[in-house]
Amino acid sequence: MDVKELIKELSLLDGPSGYEAEVLKVIEKKIEPFVDKVWYNKVGTLVAEKKGFGKGKLGIFAHADEVGHVITKIEEGLFARLEMIGGVDPKIMFAQRVRIHTKNGVAKGVVGVLPPHLQKEEHRNKVPNFDKIFVDLSCSELGKYVSVGDICVVDMKPVELNGKLCGKAMDDRAGCASLILAAQLLQTLRNYQDVYFVFSGQEEVAGPGAVSIAYELKLDRAIVVDVTHGDVKVPQFVQIKVGEGPAICVGPSIDREFQSKLSEIAQKHNVKTQIEPAPGRSGTDTDEIQLTGSGIRTALVSIPLMYMHTPVEVVDPKDVEETARLLALATTVE
Amino acid sequence: MYLKELTELDGVSGNEQQVRDFINQRIKDKVDDLRVDVLGNLIAYKKGTKGRRKIVLAAHMDEVGFMVTNIEEDGTLAFSPVGGVETQVMPGKVVRINGKTIGVIGYKAIHIQDKESLLKPLSVEQLRIYIGAKSKEEASKQVKIGDYVAFTTAFDQENGRVTGKAFDDRAGCSVLMDLIEKNDRYEDDLYFAFVVQEEVGLRGSAVVVEQIHPDIVIVIEGTTAGDDPELPEYQWATHLGDGPAVTFMHRGYVVNKKIYEAILNVAVKYSIPHQAKRRTAGGTDAARFARTGAGTAAGVVSVPSRYIHSPVSMIDLNDYNNAVLLLQKILEEGEAFAR
Repeated sequence: MDVKELIKELSLLDGPSGYEAEVLKVIEKKIEPFVDKVWYNKVGTLVAEKKGFGKGKLGIFAHADEVGHVITKIEEGLFARLEMIGGVDPKIMFAQRVRIHTKNGVAKGVVGVLPPHLQKEEHRNKVPNFDKIFVDLSCSELGKYVSVGDICVVDMKPVELNGKLCGKAMDDRAGCASLILAAQLLQTLRNYQDVYFVFSGQEEVAGPGAVSIAYELKLDRAIVVDVTHGDVKVPQFVQIKVGEGPAICVGPSIDREFQSKLSEIAQKHNVKTQIEPAPGRSGTDTDEIQLTGSGIRTALVSIPLMYMHTPVEVVDPKDVEETARLLALATTVE
Repeated sequence: MYLKELTELDGVSGNEQQVRDFINQRIKDKVDDLRVDVLGNLIAYKKGTKGRRKIVLAAHMDEVGFMVTNIEEDGTLAFSPVGGVETQVMPGKVVRINGKTIGVIGYKAIHIQDKESLLKPLSVEQLRIYIGAKSKEEASKQVKIGDYVAFTTAFDQENGRVTGKAFDDRAGCSVLMDLIEKNDRYEDDLYFAFVVQEEVGLRGSAVVVEQIHPDIVIVIEGTTAGDDPELPEYQWATHLGDGPAVTFMHRGYVVNKKIYEAILNVAVKYSIPHQAKRRTAGGTDAARFARTGAGTAAGVVSVPSRYIHSPVSMIDLNDYNNAVLLLQKILEEGEAFAR
């Protein structure tokens, strides 16, 4: 499987939190050949199951949803207003093309912006919130069908930047890709534990996707694969580098023993990794998975990513491959 | 109509080569003379049947964009706007440097911005272009300081409207090309001037008058609309779908009354939908033409355009077609126009 093509394909799919079905369908098709069975739980989480030759139940999680928008008002003259699903910086919204999923198909829109000629000091000195942001639907045949509650995402086709990939929803389709690649690797490596590849929804709104299945499966261990801020200075924190391998997280929401075992495996097999401290919550599904049922031993592996929650998120496909290798290796031991 | 081809070319002010070459190729067999002047303006000539007057139709080839002003140690590129680009429209966009290298203008994730900076408008000093290079050395293999940077928006046409970049003023260039394609002879001598550097202070147009000494100049522009739900109707400059806009005044120039009224009269005579541009903000090459040399009577006809000077602007095709029609009728009037 070509890793770049896989990431690009997943990035192009639209699936804001709660509307991941289209994304999951594609992932299901990709992973099915590599596992024993695939199924969905009550809240729509996709599970791909592969029995091991030993014992123990390991869940490997990635979330399929992305940040996005929902249409909240229709205005006269084929304009609409929107709000965000998950955390989106309004500063990156202007003059973006958007795709709106209506009952009649995908409508096109443009997020309007005042031209400099008409801007006044009040426009320049303030960051408009989502109340001020509008979508122009007049450039779309389906614009007239757009209605309140329709899901909307920024229209962005992935581009390659010196081997790195840039596009929307790399958070966490890059993670999803690493799970699919790990499943493929298990065709040659043999997994000791029963492995459940879990593609969950609603991570961006801290929803029920991951925790419901963690409970249902009565997992012993869980590895969550998400993304982390790469190549940017965060005061007091070590700088995680894009292209230097996945970051293994340490902190209260991570099981210390499980984490050190994962680090050992990485070292033993020359998987390039970095260490990322998370002194409080990790801000990923890990936080809640750990508290599921009578507790689950957790680890968090993060793919370094630039410009998170913007349409130009950047990942290095090499990091995705290294993550896949680490995941596959982790299933082979007790 | 060449809107797709024209708007997908990069032609930031001072770097109009791609646009000039494209237009040159398409029109060279349809005009009597064609030249590129010292500044890079492309001027095409069509002899008139009477030839007692010289009319210049002008549109600018350049668009707003950026220039690489430094290559940082971390391989990112510092940049500065060329022409008026609001910082608002920069982050989260794909750009093309020097016509080939792809980069993105990203910005720090919302999670790691402090509260204060979340609510503070960005300045261009906070933004960089990322091309995937990890160091100054690596980046320097692909880009140089001084390279031009353009947005990369693909053209789209649907529902009677088109979206893309640089309708200001590739819309005008396309209108001129359509008029040339009609291949008609008119009474007056015609000069089609595709000028450079409008967005950085009406510069290319400054040397046209001396070369031609025209009697009349009509500038064809893609102009501001502002007809959106964030502006009350009384603040709109133009309204998409109401026809080409005719300007009576803008920054630095009150349009010659005779020309302004003559344009309106033709529109009325042939029942061509049109509207007055209802704000005086912004400027066009008409101001430069009017004040160059011994001065020239200049008018402005514009295609209303939403969201100009951003990566995605929008025009209505009816407005575009009516602009072509209006100008064609003006030319057909011959010596009767603005007498």
